[in-house]
Amino acid sequence: MFGNSRRTPFERMEYVLILSSLFLLVVFTVQPLLNLLALSLSEPSKIAGFSGLSILPDGFSPDVWLLLLQHPNVQRGIFNSIWMTATSVVIGVAGTALMAWGLSRPGLPGRRLIFLFVLVTIVFEPGIIPDYFLMKRMGLLNSPWSVILYKAINAWYLIILVRFFEEIPQELLEAAELDGANPFQVFWKVVLPLVRPALATIALFYLVFHWNEFFRGMIYLNDQTKWPLQVVLRQFVIEGDKVAIVGAANANNNIGLAQINIRALKAGMILITIVPILAIYPLILKFFTKGTMSGALKG
Amino acid sequence: MVASNEQGTVDALLGGNVPSVTANVANGLRRWWPYYAMMAPGLLFFFIWHYVPIWEAKMAFEQVRIIPPNIWVGLKNFQTLFASPIFYQVLFNTLIISGMKILFVFPVPILVALLLNEVRSGRLRGVIQSAIYLPHFLSWVVIAGVFIALLSPTDGAVNQIAQSLGFQPVSYMTNTGTIRWVLVVSEIWRSAGWDSLLYLAAIFAIDPQLYESAELDGANRWQKIWYVTIPGIVPTIATLFILNMGMFLSADLNQVINLQNDVNASTIDIIDTYVYRIGLTTGEYALATAAGLFKAVIGMALVLVSHIVSKRLTGKGVW
Repeated sequence: MFGNSRRTPFERMEYVLILSSLFLLVVFTVQPLLNLLALSLSEPSKIAGFSGLSILPDGFSPDVWLLLLQHPNVQRGIFNSIWMTATSVVIGVAGTALMAWGLSRPGLPGRRLIFLFVLVTIVFEPGIIPDYFLMKRMGLLNSPWSVILYKAINAWYLIILVRFFEEIPQELLEAAELDGANPFQVFWKVVLPLVRPALATIALFYLVFHWNEFFRGMIYLNDQTKWPLQVVLRQFVIEGDKVAIVGAANANNNIGLAQINIRALKAGMILITIVPILAIYPLILKFFTKGTMSGALKG
Repeated sequence: MVASNEQGTVDALLGGNVPSVTANVANGLRRWWPYYAMMAPGLLFFFIWHYVPIWEAKMAFEQVRIIPPNIWVGLKNFQTLFASPIFYQVLFNTLIISGMKILFVFPVPILVALLLNEVRSGRLRGVIQSAIYLPHFLSWVVIAGVFIALLSPTDGAVNQIAQSLGFQPVSYMTNTGTIRWVLVVSEIWRSAGWDSLLYLAAIFAIDPQLYESAELDGANRWQKIWYVTIPGIVPTIATLFILNMGMFLSADLNQVINLQNDVNASTIDIIDTYVYRIGLTTGEYALATAAGLFKAVIGMALVLVSHIVSKRLTGKGVW
């Protein structure tokens, strides 16, 4: 940015200091994750004394990952998380886009009222117990749909999408209307193709939100076979329910998974849960950054 | 976290060109019904998932009976709540934790943005950003798992460093003196990188000519930061600060519930975890709903006040 020639040794030292601080921040952010990755990939016999500082596996063995991925609870968790997240994203994007389309039309009667209707929900949230009783009343307790449908349309994302929709040139819409297209056709043939990046942004917002959602699954789903991966992870790593993963018979007889160091199993579970996020991370960086800069939302 | 907006967007929307009320309703319907039809699923969702719970919250004023109907008891649950020492403990914890976060978490992303802005190579900056944004996209279950490992007294990195420097290992997760700091540090880990993005955006929006004239005046790096960059981002700082104040009673349920354990619970029990525990674990539904409603009402007042203050001072609000 600034010319090289004018830099004094003191300024160069300042710059080194600045870069070092940022480097430390990067290490602080990434090292704990790399450590868990290394731990989960180390040879099982060497895990016991594995240092929390190391970022390279001690020996190499995919055993922990393979054992976890073959575990029925983990497989079910992955399966549940994938279909529940996918369904939520489809419902969320469709519902948000349809609603944003109407709200982005300047002439829509009652627009002001509908915005107020949505904004109230941002400001006032009566809490988890009323939500719980709503689910109960609707007969959705212990059904995955309680988690899928819970706040399926996010008020913030809706507002962001409305703002994207408003950037579509009105002339384009009016031209389509003059050609005799009805609002459904305009939406489908003109609006949607134009706002694809915005839809991708919203879809990613929903995807990350629903993939990371654990609280609703934890309180609404009693049946462990319905748990998404985050709840399985929580039961094992946070609640310390070793049996959930190792299995009662194994734990009692010290066979199978019980022979693998519990630290490595936990590390492996944590990483399995974040693999999908890492897989779409380039997309996240591209779309979230743009969505956050241009839109209203912080995360 | 709350959002910030460009100037008055939604207000402008709200004040949009609503046609005169005298317009023919039938005509209007003929023209607009497709839009309402498309919005119907969304409106229904908002009604069911956000408005029906408000109706359910009337339980705060009732005695819940196993065999319905519940009995209306007025403010009795609130009296019980305000007479309970535990409630004041969780209120105190909530305020302390939120206060600590405002003091120690809020400034970090500003600092990070200032540092990032000094990086000369755009590519290097990009690499740093990609690394430090990542934790924002991880769930609190994952982050808690990471921190439990990181802080382990036997083989966690923090205690290994401390021990190599001659300190005794500390069990941070089960120490009532340190657990609130675990909340602070894990929040920094999660959000310092990502939250710096908004400040960085504000810095990039500063007129480059200001820097050029500062340089002509012989300003060094720190003078440029102090006299150009920081004044340029003060509005953003003010907005986000006020908006954070609006969230003061939250203190983040998802974070606390995953970092809580039997030993540290009393120190970091916040209103939300209290509601969860007495409601869904102990089954004191009415009392829990009352506590939740207390938080919802005060929280609403805080958000509205912060929104209005922010709008007045900086032109940006919650929405």
